[in-house]
Amino acid sequence: MTEATQASQAAGAAAGCGAPAGGAAIKDAGNQAIVQGKVTKDGAPVPVGYARLLNSGGDFVAEVPLGEDGGFRFFAAPGDWTLRVLAPGGISTDRGVSAATGEIRELDVVV
Amino acid sequence: MSRSDVLVDAEWVEAHRDDPGVVLVEVDEDTSAYDKGHIRGAVKIDWKKDLQDPVRRDFVDRDGFAALLSERGISNDDTVILYGGNNNWFAAYAYWYFKLYGHQNVKLLDGGRKKWELDSRELVTEVPSRPATSYTAQEQDSSIRAFRDEVVNAIGNKNLIDVRSPDEFAGRLLAPAHLPQEQAQRGGHVPTARNVPWSKAAEDDGTFKSDDALQTLYTEAGVDFGIDTIAYCRIGERSAHTWFVMHELLGQPNVKNYDGSWTEYGSLVGVPIKLGDES
Repeated sequence: MTEATQASQAAGAAAGCGAPAGGAAIKDAGNQAIVQGKVTKDGAPVPVGYARLLNSGGDFVAEVPLGEDGGFRFFAAPGDWTLRVLAPGGISTDRGVSAATGEIRELDVVV
Repeated sequence: MSRSDVLVDAEWVEAHRDDPGVVLVEVDEDTSAYDKGHIRGAVKIDWKKDLQDPVRRDFVDRDGFAALLSERGISNDDTVILYGGNNNWFAAYAYWYFKLYGHQNVKLLDGGRKKWELDSRELVTEVPSRPATSYTAQEQDSSIRAFRDEVVNAIGNKNLIDVRSPDEFAGRLLAPAHLPQEQAQRGGHVPTARNVPWSKAAEDDGTFKSDDALQTLYTEAGVDFGIDTIAYCRIGERSAHTWFVMHELLGQPNVKNYDGSWTEYGSLVGVPIKLGDES
């Protein structure tokens, strides 16, 4: 994929403000600091649930509904973040993650 | 005004969704969520396709709104219950938009789609068929919508509440962190704006915090309840959430939503911008 194509796809995704299920699609990190992963329970994807990104002060920054494969993706700033997964049954699970520009940090969460 | 005038919970929806005169409406930016499953009986409104002018950056006009509601089978005297994804951002935006065009009997489902899903309540794919109506919209209510010049003139005079995340407020991010960060405009915030992220008004499950907690939140952030308020975010939907909190839940009289928000302000030539965490 060319840089221009990637930028155009990213701009398309950024046109609105909503959270696409699983997070906006990407091919590579480019100049983004990406945190992504999948949520599973008993070995199966969790398709109904939410991933929230909290900053180092514990404040909410962003949220996406999980994709059908239990996936989520955030375009963060470099630094330390907390990922909180909410799922039916009162499940709320926190995991720490650090993001870096140009890198995709994979985080698989078992709930 | 009490909460029951502007909010309903899931039990109310399950008990009243089949009542004549009650219409459930799911509002999303990406309506694929509705298509995959929605509350039984709910019709959908697409935040962009249905509510925005396809050419200019503005809303559909009065006739366009009347045509939309007529086509969806919504009458002037119906009680409209709005809910949606993203912690009700777009549902709150639609609430504000319905009020803008004079629809008085409108409420939000507290917690929106998220709480409904997390509580494992029923979602269906069947699309209801509602006979068309002849809806009449009013002229826009200018007392709840702010434009750019009002925002510039509000610096130092009115409460400006920037409801984006702290990183967007400071200029470190240009969009919410679930979206790619390419943007044309400058980062930062309107000078004197207080940063009270919309999310601080909501619990994890998307429901609104108590009136006391909300009052404390804005007071501690330096919002003066004795003067007028303008709320903004990036494109005006998160600030509609805060407009709902300030105007509908806390009963503040003069609160406007600046729907041009940062994508307009941050692209204006010559206006002041402040960077960093301080107001």
